[in-house]
Amino acid sequence: MAHKLYREAHPMPFVLTHWINLLAMFFLTLSGFYIHFPIFPGFMGVARGTHFFWMFVLIINLTLRIVLAFVVKSANMPDTREVDLDIKNWLPQAANRHQMIPWIKYYLFLKKDHPISAKYGVLQKIAYLATIPMTFAAAYTGFCLWGPTSDWGFFLAGTTWVADLFNAGGGASLMPMRILHYWIMWVILIFTAAHVYLANIYNFAPSKMIFAWKESGDH
Amino acid sequence: MAHEDRAFYDQLAERGVTRRGFLKFCGSVAAMLGLSETMAPTIAGAVEAAAGSKLYPAVWLNGGACTGCTESAAQSTYPDIAQIVLDILSLNYIETVMMATGEDADKALYQTAEANAGKFIMIYEGTVMTGLEGNTLRVAGKTGLQFIDEIAPKAAAVVAVGSCAVDGGWVKAAPNPAGGTGISMYLKEKGIATPVINLPTCPVNPEWIVAIVIDALLLGGIDENGKVTEGLVSKLDQFGRPSFIFGQTIHDNCPRRGHFENGEFVYQFGSPEEAKGYCLYPVGCKGPQTQTNCPIVRWNNQTSWCVESGAPCIGCGNFNWVDNGAPFLGRMRKIGIGSVGAQGGGWEPGVLGAIAGGAVVGALAVHGVGMKAAGRIGEGPATEPMKEYDAKRAKKGGGN
Repeated sequence: MAHKLYREAHPMPFVLTHWINLLAMFFLTLSGFYIHFPIFPGFMGVARGTHFFWMFVLIINLTLRIVLAFVVKSANMPDTREVDLDIKNWLPQAANRHQMIPWIKYYLFLKKDHPISAKYGVLQKIAYLATIPMTFAAAYTGFCLWGPTSDWGFFLAGTTWVADLFNAGGGASLMPMRILHYWIMWVILIFTAAHVYLANIYNFAPSKMIFAWKESGDH
Repeated sequence: MAHEDRAFYDQLAERGVTRRGFLKFCGSVAAMLGLSETMAPTIAGAVEAAAGSKLYPAVWLNGGACTGCTESAAQSTYPDIAQIVLDILSLNYIETVMMATGEDADKALYQTAEANAGKFIMIYEGTVMTGLEGNTLRVAGKTGLQFIDEIAPKAAAVVAVGSCAVDGGWVKAAPNPAGGTGISMYLKEKGIATPVINLPTCPVNPEWIVAIVIDALLLGGIDENGKVTEGLVSKLDQFGRPSFIFGQTIHDNCPRRGHFENGEFVYQFGSPEEAKGYCLYPVGCKGPQTQTNCPIVRWNNQTSWCVESGAPCIGCGNFNWVDNGAPFLGRMRKIGIGSVGAQGGGWEPGVLGAIAGGAVVGALAVHGVGMKAAGRIGEGPATEPMKEYDAKRAKKGGGN
């Protein structure tokens, strides 16, 4: 099954945005953990500064990535240099039709053959696309907590809604929002664990491509 | 000041208050109201003109209350400047400290409401007890709810003092068998349109009542017809709290904020870090999520306040503050899922996150072993020649 990986699969702009995503997630997670509980002294100002800086980097990077999807062309299938507008390769493609169940069966070892995939498999597309609302949810809940923006109507409405959800009549209490923001990080970490595992379970060619832009397979 | 009323200053002197002290107080009230300090003489003039000449009718109703807010407001052992302002209120009914008892007391309440309909202030302390159809609180043969139903619609405004009156306070904490709720929530449910000014914290800070009395009664927040003006309404946030008091977090104005930024923390009580007055964040301080001006106004005649005296803020100015703030010495509220874990106090949010994360990593590791055993590592299995769906359709003799 091993695919040939050509540079057209991940054009250079996407290699860069992926790198920036990784760095932002890394620094946001570490600084966020420290802000959650400062396990050693002397670092809070740096941690908060780091958190705010990479928060803006991540939001800008994600927005840019979405815009680029409408501009840059990428390989539309595995094993090909044939390109299409990137956004088309993210949305369901013909090869994705009827393939959800076979993918689930495959991962549960109920199916021997590797299911036919489009640019990405069905579950893969769902997971990747889910990172967009997930990241924006992390940003939104973060702004709900951040002093300069927490009393903006747009964010205060969310704070009140989440507080009510957690314990009816919670008013504008920030605690439920703080916990939600923290848990979103865990969801992102869980996604990352599955992403790293599934991307590299067969071999490390996908990592070589996305990080070093190095082609593999027969050219 | 344009004029000086000797009797008023004699009254101040009797209470051990100098003219300078009084003007300083008016300056601090001006600052709290978000006014320029140049407004201090105007406030002083208004207080002076009102003291001893005008009395504004008010009634003080107690719901499910510990009377801590009454105690806080009365400060009976130390009559101070604030008391002079509060004396402007003609409190015709206040259960805890009034002379009258029984039917006479009730008469004072209803007469005040009838004679001054639409022109008196109703101060409400304590939780609105809705449990057992209101029978969780009975006074003089009636439910607490009946008192509210009869008096609140006639008041110009309701001032909810203390967290219990604002949203049910600690009485409302789960499982809340008394059906505790806040006065504004109850009035909304009953369709009573009387405006409510919410002053949370447990207990209420008397300085805030003073600020409201000055703003509402002396600076025109309530007009001569007993109508709450737009000027006063615009100072309230969407939860009915005066934003000049509840607009910033304790953390924003905390004298220990520098230690927070420097990462200088108290991790354990009794430690050298505690003696140095470091930040109390790791021992559960709720200052970052509690919006009151405690660090500026302080308590007990501006003497001190919780963090200054060495205790972490427990967030008593928050909404549903006990459920959200407990455990008070922990960083985050603990979580129970349904009834599971709730009885034992729940789990730290991080523990639940780590359990979920660990479970996924464990499952992936097991899956990886399965992938290896199935011979999928490396080149991987062959790709199916055609989709299962298409194969089934082909078998049935159908097209695409």
